[in-house]
Amino acid sequence: MKNRQYSVKIFETTIEEDEKFKAFFDTNYILFKEHLILINGDMSSDIEAYLKEKKFKYLHNAILPEGRSRHTPARKSIKKNVTGYEYTSLQDEVNALEVENGVNEQIAQAEIQKLKSAMKTLSNKMENNLTVLDSIIRSGRELKIEGDLLLLNRVNSGAMIHTTGNLIITQVVEGALRCDGNFMMITVSPKANIIFNGVIVDNDLLENKLNRIELKEREIFITPVIKKEINWA
Amino acid sequence: MGIVIAVISGKGGVGKTTATANIGLGIALNQKKCVVVDFDIGQRNLDMILGLENRVVYDLVQVMDGEASIKQAIIKSKVSDNLHFLAASQTKDKSVLSSEKVKALVEGLQEEYEYVILDSPAGIESGFEHTIEFADTAIVVVNPEVSSIRDADRAIGILDAKSQKVKDGEEVRKFLIVNRISAEMVQKGEMLNSEDILDILNIKLLGKVPEDKGVIDASNQGKPIILDKKSMAGEAYARIAGRICGQDIAIKDIEHPHTGVFKKLTGMFK
Repeated sequence: MKNRQYSVKIFETTIEEDEKFKAFFDTNYILFKEHLILINGDMSSDIEAYLKEKKFKYLHNAILPEGRSRHTPARKSIKKNVTGYEYTSLQDEVNALEVENGVNEQIAQAEIQKLKSAMKTLSNKMENNLTVLDSIIRSGRELKIEGDLLLLNRVNSGAMIHTTGNLIITQVVEGALRCDGNFMMITVSPKANIIFNGVIVDNDLLENKLNRIELKEREIFITPVIKKEINWA
Repeated sequence: MGIVIAVISGKGGVGKTTATANIGLGIALNQKKCVVVDFDIGQRNLDMILGLENRVVYDLVQVMDGEASIKQAIIKSKVSDNLHFLAASQTKDKSVLSSEKVKALVEGLQEEYEYVILDSPAGIESGFEHTIEFADTAIVVVNPEVSSIRDADRAIGILDAKSQKVKDGEEVRKFLIVNRISAEMVQKGEMLNSEDILDILNIKLLGKVPEDKGVIDASNQGKPIILDKKSMAGEAYARIAGRICGQDIAIKDIEHPHTGVFKKLTGMFK
């Protein structure tokens, strides 16, 4: 007998309007693609096709065990409604559904908060993982840095630096750089070879003295920090 | 205890051996006891440049193996009594060197001489590593060209990583000689400026030596160029030797030599 035990996140919902449901899942696709979606109440074939197309894993009107965070009063009433058909009036059903939707939204918000805090701790970790170096990086040296690097000296031709995090170099770079972080601050000579997140950065774009190179939503932005010519007029 | 100076370059053919011979003789002419040691095992060269070609009886490897004493192997220069020479082996390979043997030899020489100058082989292999291992000071010889500078940069990197002094937590002093400077080419912007080279290598400047056709003839004849009082390169080496002996000699700007009276006069008639 082979056993495995693990926790899965479940998103429990009831469909009011097909279009609203689709719009909600379209916008929150990334958030819910790993979730098991539990649909209570009616589900049209249109929605079924949509869920299949988006490759969501879902269950329809399934009875799941009570989880640690699955005991809100509204939910219980819904559950009762689904299983026991104990509606007193249509108004009650509508009220219950409204509460349910509110709860769903709360869950989504909580989920977003969790992700945000996870990202925050990640960035704190990166800050703690900063390496500061003051030695000249001479030809033939290959540095591999896990995390961020602040280098206060030059990188000579024939040397190579690879960082998994952000990179700031205060003096001229003549060697090769591989940076997989979110930004770089560098001054390069025409000889240097810069690869930022797997993309070769053209040296012609970096002719200004100090450049900020950033990755924003799959786009690389290069901003000269000190412009070559200052127009005093 | 004498000072151990390793002359290194990384790249071959930049004038390491010529510089070693001239600096050694220059120090000797300043009345300091100096020995130059050819560490280029298998490719003996320094004896020819010093004019001591056929006088080698015992070599460095024989001294290290205990087959001969330092006193037996040392050859005295014809030019100066203060300059002594220890030749590299012609027949053996550099693999015969070992750290203990090199250490014993260098310490033995340090007791006898004020300056021990080691001529390193080109490249960065074991022969080079043994040369720099027990040196207090390194003189880096470069030509004003990118390949020479990159190789020198690599050699300095290895020096900073493998030297015994660095392992003991001290620093190896490093000085730069820019050899074969052509003032004309620097002014045209075709040759690297020594300021740029110093920026890249980030070590102290010991001297600039101009390109001089007389150097080849001097080497062929076994009379180091420093003995030729009219030669620009000879003068440059004399200044370098003086600086090593502790004299305060300003760096001569050989890259812009024509900014004197003559140039000013011609400028007036333009």
